[in-house]
Amino acid sequence: MKTEAPTHSQSILKGNFATAEAARLCRVGFIPAYPITPQTTIVERLSDMVSKGEMDATYVNMDSEHSAFAAAMGAALAGERVFTATAGQGLFYAHEVLHAIAHFRLPIVIANVGRPSIPWNIWSDQSDSLAQRDTGWIQFYGESSQEVLDTVIQSYLLAEQLNIPVMVVLDAFYQSHTSENVWVPDQDLVDEFLPPKKPGPMSIDMENPKAFGGLVPPEHYNKLNYTFWRDAIQVEERAEQIAADYARMFGREYHNVEAINIGPQTRLVLVTVSSITTTARGVIRKYPDVGLLKIRLFKPFPKASVQEALRELPKDAIIAPVERNFLGDREGALFQEMQRALYGAPYRMYDFYAGAGGKDVPPETIEKIIHIARNNPQDVNWVDIA
Amino acid sequence: MLEIRGHARGGQGMVTAFEILAKMFSHLGDFQVQAFPAFGVERTGAPIQAFLRVAKKEILNRSNIYHPHLIAIFDESLLDMVPVFDGLKDQGAVLINTEKPRSAFDLPGKTIYTIPATRISLENGLGSKSLPIVNAAMIGAIGYLFEADLDVLQETIRGNVPSKPQANAKAAVTAYNSVLGEALPNPYLHDRLHNPGDEETGAYQYSEQTEPIIGIDAPFWAMPLSKNKTGNWRVVTPRYVDRRPPCNHNCPAGTDVRRFVKLAGEKKFAEAFETLYEHNPFPGVCGRVCPHFCEQQCNRNDFDESVNIGAIERFLGDQALNYPVLPSPVTQPEKIAVIGSGPAGLTAALRLCEKGYEVTVFEALPQAGGMMRSGIPKFRLPDAVLDLEIKRIEQKGVKIETKRRVSIGELSSRFSTVITAVGSHIGARLLLDGEDELSLDGITFLREFKLSGNEAGIAKGDRIAIIGGGNTAVDVARTALRLGAEAVIYYRRTMAEMPAIAQEVEEALAEGVQIRFLTAPAGLKKNSQGQIELSLIDMELGEPDSSGRRKPIPVEGSESTVIVQKVIKAIGQRFDEYAFDGMALKPRQGRIEYAGETPVFCAGDMAWGGTVTEAIGSGNKVAEEVHALLQGLQYHPEEILPDIVLPKDINFAYYMPIPKHRGVSKHPKDLHGNFEELSLGLRETDIHAESIRCLHCGDCYNCGNCFNFCPDAAIHLDEDGRLRIDYDYCKGCGICAEECPCNAIEFTLTEIAS
Repeated sequence: MKTEAPTHSQSILKGNFATAEAARLCRVGFIPAYPITPQTTIVERLSDMVSKGEMDATYVNMDSEHSAFAAAMGAALAGERVFTATAGQGLFYAHEVLHAIAHFRLPIVIANVGRPSIPWNIWSDQSDSLAQRDTGWIQFYGESSQEVLDTVIQSYLLAEQLNIPVMVVLDAFYQSHTSENVWVPDQDLVDEFLPPKKPGPMSIDMENPKAFGGLVPPEHYNKLNYTFWRDAIQVEERAEQIAADYARMFGREYHNVEAINIGPQTRLVLVTVSSITTTARGVIRKYPDVGLLKIRLFKPFPKASVQEALRELPKDAIIAPVERNFLGDREGALFQEMQRALYGAPYRMYDFYAGAGGKDVPPETIEKIIHIARNNPQDVNWVDIA
Repeated sequence: MLEIRGHARGGQGMVTAFEILAKMFSHLGDFQVQAFPAFGVERTGAPIQAFLRVAKKEILNRSNIYHPHLIAIFDESLLDMVPVFDGLKDQGAVLINTEKPRSAFDLPGKTIYTIPATRISLENGLGSKSLPIVNAAMIGAIGYLFEADLDVLQETIRGNVPSKPQANAKAAVTAYNSVLGEALPNPYLHDRLHNPGDEETGAYQYSEQTEPIIGIDAPFWAMPLSKNKTGNWRVVTPRYVDRRPPCNHNCPAGTDVRRFVKLAGEKKFAEAFETLYEHNPFPGVCGRVCPHFCEQQCNRNDFDESVNIGAIERFLGDQALNYPVLPSPVTQPEKIAVIGSGPAGLTAALRLCEKGYEVTVFEALPQAGGMMRSGIPKFRLPDAVLDLEIKRIEQKGVKIETKRRVSIGELSSRFSTVITAVGSHIGARLLLDGEDELSLDGITFLREFKLSGNEAGIAKGDRIAIIGGGNTAVDVARTALRLGAEAVIYYRRTMAEMPAIAQEVEEALAEGVQIRFLTAPAGLKKNSQGQIELSLIDMELGEPDSSGRRKPIPVEGSESTVIVQKVIKAIGQRFDEYAFDGMALKPRQGRIEYAGETPVFCAGDMAWGGTVTEAIGSGNKVAEEVHALLQGLQYHPEEILPDIVLPKDINFAYYMPIPKHRGVSKHPKDLHGNFEELSLGLRETDIHAESIRCLHCGDCYNCGNCFNFCPDAAIHLDEDGRLRIDYDYCKGCGICAEECPCNAIEFTLTEIAS
C-alpha cells in the first residue's frame, strides 16, 4: 500500500462515503436515487454534496429502483455521466432495466452494496449482484474502501471506452459501514485520468433526431448481440490496461485477479472475492503451502487472467472457492465460473459455502476451510452451519 | 494490532464514537485503522456492538472482534443481558460506564476502569435520562487509556459529531479526567498499540470429524426462527397500563372519578353510582358542596375546560332514590361506637357496617348530618338530599341515636372500639373587647338558624358585617342576604387567599354580597343609637406565613369605622372536647393514645381537612384502620405514588373541543325569604354529553388509535372487547404508545432481542 502521495489526501472513510467521493471525483452529472439499506448512506452523502455545491450534479429522488435505473438510462442517452447506487431488493427490482442499459450500450457506473433478498436480510452477501451476471454488465468486487474508490474511477473510463455499464460491488457493513484509511486523490489527478464524457454513439443529438428502443427485427438482432460480444471480450484486457495506467498515475496497483503465494510450492488455492479476501490474506501467512486467488473482475469472467495466475500451480493442487452467495444451484457462482475458466485443467476443485447473509467469516473459518479441503472435502461443503 | 470491542444500545452514539476514535488514532500516529458496527436490529435501545482495530501495519482481518484487548461498555444495563465480557484477552482491560466502584465487578485478572459517562453526558446536555448519548464521554475515557493528546481528541470530536460540538468536546475532556482505575500507562494496552510484536495466532483446532450436515436443526418458514413469530425485532415493549389520573389522585375521598365518569358516559348510571358510592356515601351532598379538587386538576383544563365532574356526581347522587339498599348482616362480634354523625362519622360507620360490625352513631344534635346538617345552608344543600343519603346508611344497618351527647368514657364499657368524629363546631374568637356582647359566632348562627329557625334578630335592611374569608363567612353572608339584610364580608387578605370555595364566592357576589378585602376589625363598641361601631384597619400583605399565604400587616393610620346592626365572626372553628371526658388531647387521624383498654380513633374535621369530601376520606381510612385492628392485621395506609398523568402526557390532537355543560340555575330577582336551592344541575342528556368529554387519562377507552396505527396489525380486540397487543407480531416500534391519546400505553426498555 502506498503511504506517501502528494496528489492525495488521507482520510478515514466508510466504504459508502469512499464510493460517494469517487462519484464526485468522476464529476458525474446526474444521480437518480432511491434509498435502501445498506446502500443508503452513499446516496445520502451524494445528496449532501450536491446540496452544498461540492459537486455540480442533478440529484433526483426517484420513487423506486426501477424508476431510478430508467432515469439513469434516459440521462445517459442524453449524454450525462450517470451514477447511482443500490442493494439487494433494489437491484432485483431494477433487473429489467439492467438489461436495457447494457444492451443500449450506455456507460453507466453504479455501486451495489451486496445483500441478499429472501429470506429477508440486510447483511453481507453477493447473491444479488451475482444473480445479475447475465444482464451484460461488467462487475468488479472491491476488497477495501480504497479499492472501491479506485475502481469506480477506473470503471467510468472502461465503461465509456467500451459503452458497457459497470457495477462496482462492495460488501454490506464489512465495507459499506467500515471506517478505514483511504487516500483520496486530488481532483486534478482524476481529471487527468478520466476526461470529460464525450457523446457516445447512443447519445441524443438535437441536430439529428432519431428513435431509440424500437423493435429490432431478427436480421438485426443477432448483429447487435455480436457487436456487444465483440466489445465484451475486450473487457478483460482493457480493464487490465486501465488498471496499469491508473497504477502509474495514482500509485496503487490492481489486476483483474490477484495471486498471492501461488507457485510451485502451493498445494491449495483459496478463491475469494471482496472482504473475505483480506481475512484470508492474514490466515495464509500461517500456511506456506496455501495460496489465495482474489477475483476482482468477475464479469466478464477473466479466464485468461485466472489461467495466468495459476500457471505455476502444481497439477495435483486443490482449488477451494469460498462462496458468499447461493444461487439455488449445487455449486456457487465462483465455483461455476472457475470450472468454466479451468475446463480441462487437472486441479481438484471443492466448493465451500461460507458467510452468506452476513455470517461472519473470521480467521478460524478460513482455517477450517483449509483443513477440510486438505483432509476430507466433499464436492460441495457448507461451513459453520452446524 | 490493538482490538477494541464496544457494547451499547442503539441511539447512544457508539458507532459514531468508534468512527471518531478511528480518526483520532489516525491523527495520533501513522496507524492503520478499521472501525465498524455489528448491527443486529438497528433500532433505538437495541444492544449493538462496534469494533475498532488499530495497527502499525496493514490490517488483515475483516471479521468481527472476538478476542478484544479492551472492552468498552457504554451501557451498564447490558451487563445482565449480553455476554459483554466474552473472549476478553487474559491480560485485557474493560472500561465501564458506571457510578459503581470497581470492586462491584467480578472479573478476576482483568484490569477494570470506570467512568461516570452517563452523568457527564447529562451534565453537558447530551441525550435524555432514558437514553443518554454517552459517546463523547466514552471517547474521552478511551482516549485517556491511551494517553491521547487532548487537543487532537477534542478537535476530532468537534469536527465529526453531528451536533453540539462544544458540549461533546467538553464532555470528552471531563471524562478524560474522570476515569478511575490503575495508573497509566497500562502496559498491556500500550504495547498492543505501540509495540505489538508478533500477532497472536488463530485459535482454530482441527478435528478429524467431518461436520454433520445431516441432522442440523434447520429453520423453516413454518417454524419461527425466534420466540417471537415475526422475528426478534422488539427491544422496547408497549404495554397497556392503568396510570393514575389527576381527578382520582386529587379526590380526598379516594373516589375512582375517572371510572364513574366513564360509566356515566356509557349511560350505565347504576354502575356509575356504585363506583362512586364505594368511596363516597354522600354523592348528592358532595355534588353540591365539594370544591371538586378533581375538576381543579382535570387535564382538560389545559385543552378547553375541565369536565363538570361535580354536576355528574350530583346527578348520580340524586339517582340513589331509584336504587334499593340491601341491609348488611352483622357477622362480626365487635360493636363499634361512633361519636358524631357528620360525613366522617357516618362514612366510617357505613364502611364498618358493610364489613359486618354492629355500629351505633351518637349525635348530640336533634338531627344527624353534622356540619352538613348544621353548617351548610339549605339553598346550597336541601335537607331532602341529605336525608336521603343518611337514610341509605341507616337502611344498611347503621344505628343513629340523636340528642345523645356522649363521651368516650360512657361508651367504652359497651363497645369494642370508639371512633370520635365530632367535627369543628366552635367558632374562634376575635380577641376584641366587647366581643361576646357585640358579635355573634357564625357557625352557631348557621346552626341555630337551620335547626330552629333562629334569625338572630336580623331584620330587613339591616347592615351585617361578617368577619372572615372562609365558607362559613360566605354562607353567613348569603343567609343574612336572604333574611333581607345588606351583607358585607370583611377579609384581611385578598380574593386570591380566600379559603372559601371560589364558586361559592362568585355566587355570593352575584347575589349581592359585598366583600371588603385587606381590612380587619380593630374594635367594637355600641353607639348611643344602639348600633354597633365596628373599627377597621387596612392591611397589606407581607411575607408568606406558615400557611403559605402572605401575612397581612396592619397599615398604620388607616383606621376607619362602619356602623352596622350586627357583627358575625367566621374566622375559623375548633373541635369540641366534650367527647374526651375533659382530657386535653390533640386529635389526629386514626388511633390515638387514650387511657383505658378500649381503642379510640379520631376522624373528620377535627383530625384532617375542612371539607365534606376530606371528612369522607378520613372516615374511609379510619374504618380500614379499625377493621385491621379488630382482625388483628397490620394497618398500612395505601401508598399512593405521585406518578400521575399530566397534560404533557395527553395527545390533545385526538380530542374535539366541546364546551363545558354548566347546568341551569334559577336567578330570582329578590332573594329575600328564598331558601330554595338555586342550582338545578344538569339534565340527563347533558350528563351523558358532559361525561363523554372525559379524556380518560391513563385508561384505555378503546378509542382504537393503536389498532389503526399499528403497522404490523399486532393489535386486536380480545374476547372481552378490549384492545390487546399480540406480542408475537409486535415489533416494538412504539407508534401505538406515541399515538395513544390518553397515555394508557407505556413503552419501556424491558425486553431485549436474543
